[in-house]
Amino acid sequence: MNLAALEERTSPGTAHAPGQKLGPMVRLLTCGSVDDGKSTLIGRLLWDAAGVTDDQRAAILHASHNRAVNGERIDFSLLLDGLVAEREQGITIDIAWRYFETERRRFVIIDSPGHEQYTRNMATGASHADLAILLVDARHGVKRQTRRHAAICNLVGIKKVIVAVNKMDQIDWSEERYRAIEADFAALAGNFDFAETTTIPVAALTGANVVARSAEMAWYTGPTLLDYLENVDPKVEPEDAPFRMPVQLVLRASGDFRGYAGTVTSGTISVGDRVVDARSGLGATLRRIATMDGDQPSAQKGDAVTLVLDTDLDISRGAVLSEIKRRPVNADVIEARLVWLSEKSFDPEAGYLLRTATDLTPVTSMSVSALVDFETLGVTPAHECGVNDIADCRILLGRATALDLFGDLPLTGNFVLVNAVDGATVAGGVITWVQTGAAAVGDNVLVLDRARLAGLCSDLGDSPADRAEFERRAQEVAILLRSAGVPVLIEADQ
Amino acid sequence: MTALTSHLKLLEAESIHIFREAAAQFRTPVLLYSIGKDSTVLLHLARKAFWPAKPPFPLLHVDTTWKFHDMIAFRDRTVKELGLDLIVHTNHDGLARGMNPFDHPPSIYTDIMRPQALRQALDAGGFDAAFGGARRDEEASRAKERVFSFRAAGHTWDPRLQRPEMWQLLNGRLGRGETVRVFPLSNWTEGDVWRYITLEKLDVVPLYFAADRPVVERNGQLLMVDDERMRLLPGEAPQTRKVRFRTLGCYPLTAAVESEAADLDAVVTETLEARVSERAGRLIDHDQAGAMEMKKREGYF
Repeated sequence: MNLAALEERTSPGTAHAPGQKLGPMVRLLTCGSVDDGKSTLIGRLLWDAAGVTDDQRAAILHASHNRAVNGERIDFSLLLDGLVAEREQGITIDIAWRYFETERRRFVIIDSPGHEQYTRNMATGASHADLAILLVDARHGVKRQTRRHAAICNLVGIKKVIVAVNKMDQIDWSEERYRAIEADFAALAGNFDFAETTTIPVAALTGANVVARSAEMAWYTGPTLLDYLENVDPKVEPEDAPFRMPVQLVLRASGDFRGYAGTVTSGTISVGDRVVDARSGLGATLRRIATMDGDQPSAQKGDAVTLVLDTDLDISRGAVLSEIKRRPVNADVIEARLVWLSEKSFDPEAGYLLRTATDLTPVTSMSVSALVDFETLGVTPAHECGVNDIADCRILLGRATALDLFGDLPLTGNFVLVNAVDGATVAGGVITWVQTGAAAVGDNVLVLDRARLAGLCSDLGDSPADRAEFERRAQEVAILLRSAGVPVLIEADQ
Repeated sequence: MTALTSHLKLLEAESIHIFREAAAQFRTPVLLYSIGKDSTVLLHLARKAFWPAKPPFPLLHVDTTWKFHDMIAFRDRTVKELGLDLIVHTNHDGLARGMNPFDHPPSIYTDIMRPQALRQALDAGGFDAAFGGARRDEEASRAKERVFSFRAAGHTWDPRLQRPEMWQLLNGRLGRGETVRVFPLSNWTEGDVWRYITLEKLDVVPLYFAADRPVVERNGQLLMVDDERMRLLPGEAPQTRKVRFRTLGCYPLTAAVESEAADLDAVVTETLEARVSERAGRLIDHDQAGAMEMKKREGYF
């Protein structure tokens, strides 16, 4: 196949005047393995929807001849494989990000590997996506892998799923076979919290129903893959969600300016509304929403703003500003489901830190209660977990922090677990249950407060910077004590 | 509020979030300012992230002494207007050894005058984090780059040491000897950068707009004769052509394209209709397959 022949099938340029509205950006996860033709499907989408430049096209055509995996056809998968090391091995082991736009939308494709040994990569990629394409090989139907992929998407909070039944050309475009697969997936989806699932029969190699409607499948009247992607609403927002803004930084500037900088993770807020800091229980009224583009009357989920309050709550990074009525829980015990990301297995004696929206809290103790089998969707009691495992666990925190349940408010209900010594991100998880006060001070818990650390912190005063430094030192001490088997609790505010 | 389209608003908010996370988690950040369009957007977002305060970090420019004169003038004007701290670092050791883009292969010259110089400057400043304007859409090896990209001691990058990043959570806890490159523009495309510049009415280096400039044609590439140091090959004579640049770097190593796009709207239209990726104008990338990945492993970025 030559370049000129391909050019004719390429859609025309997709320029927009600068002011012209593109629809919302769509972040799309693609799950499946090489065998399902995943890379070919994405490559086909990029190629046909004009996300490929001429020099890239020429390079792909050149490389396709070198590999000749598909005979004389173009190897669309070459558009996806990135690093040299991976290209040589012929596999995709990391997440690759691809960007393209059509007349109507800007797309981000998050490409992650599908095999079981890459569960962590897939979970990582999925956590950034609004929707997922699950690839199913039409010859094999819904398999164990499909179940696992659907379960991972569900775990990290994806609400909309497209099932692309690929290789329809290999089963003579059979409607009967397709309908059976569609019904199988509908039954499977009943196990999850998806808001919308859509099934589309495609053939990535020929391009059928990817961008162009397939003549061979006249019986299919639903959208092509691109039709669907250009029209779907990527966000599923519950109405009237409670306001949350985790504080990233306290900004001070001339003229006594003091504002709390952060991104609204849920709900809306308007000037004049009451807000509360969940940890201290102190409330204030919102006086200004300050941005470089001028003060705003209100802010909503996704906005990066700076809030100025009428009274000084004396809070710092890690606090969550919330509406008065529906507050986060000031929790020190959580139960969570997590995916283990590190090659080093879970070690109950290791020092871990819990990184939530903007807080970093020392873990006093942690135990694994069960492993989840994502192919049977069953749970088996366990006390250990390692790389690629999905585990249920219980975590006691060294101090309370403001948290929500992931199912209610994902961006204040998720976390990563950090190895306190080398800083590695060892797991990512979603909070399924929270409790306040269960780690109350007992006889065997050592309380780290200003009195106990007086010597170590004799140089520290009462300024916000000094208090932050106290907390940092206390956390480091807590990590050391924890690794020596001593349960500790930090009381920074005393 | 500016009339940003919904996807640019989302990208802007995401970048501001990244700036704030990095400023909160690292002790001594610095912003790598390379004067081009991506740096212009990067700096604008940094100002928004900390407004009404100034960005809590200095700017660092690695100057090879071969940048376009228009770039240096633009840099100095920007820094003065905004009242920011600027550190300019040049690898004087490399200069003393006579490094220049004519007598040495582009890859060797560039390695000494840019990544080596950058490492010197970062070490000298004791910076634990450096903001850069790299985008994942630029090149294949960058398609897998993290927002917080970790470097081991000696600034080396190993793909296997990179941390998984989930949701909006960014983990900046450093291990021994580690430093971080932070990429707030990770999810932007070249088209997004230009659209944002247009809608936010940002000033950019005039070289991005088509004008009559003295150029020579060499190996199919148009090179601008920016000053008397340009060495002409036998038979070469500068001719005036209407050209502009898609990326900016050292003038003897950055090819121009013939264009009529003399204002922002025309540049945006041309960019979005482009049939060739922007790095095609960078001479050093064509050296070998996986060129960028090799450079990255060596600490280029």
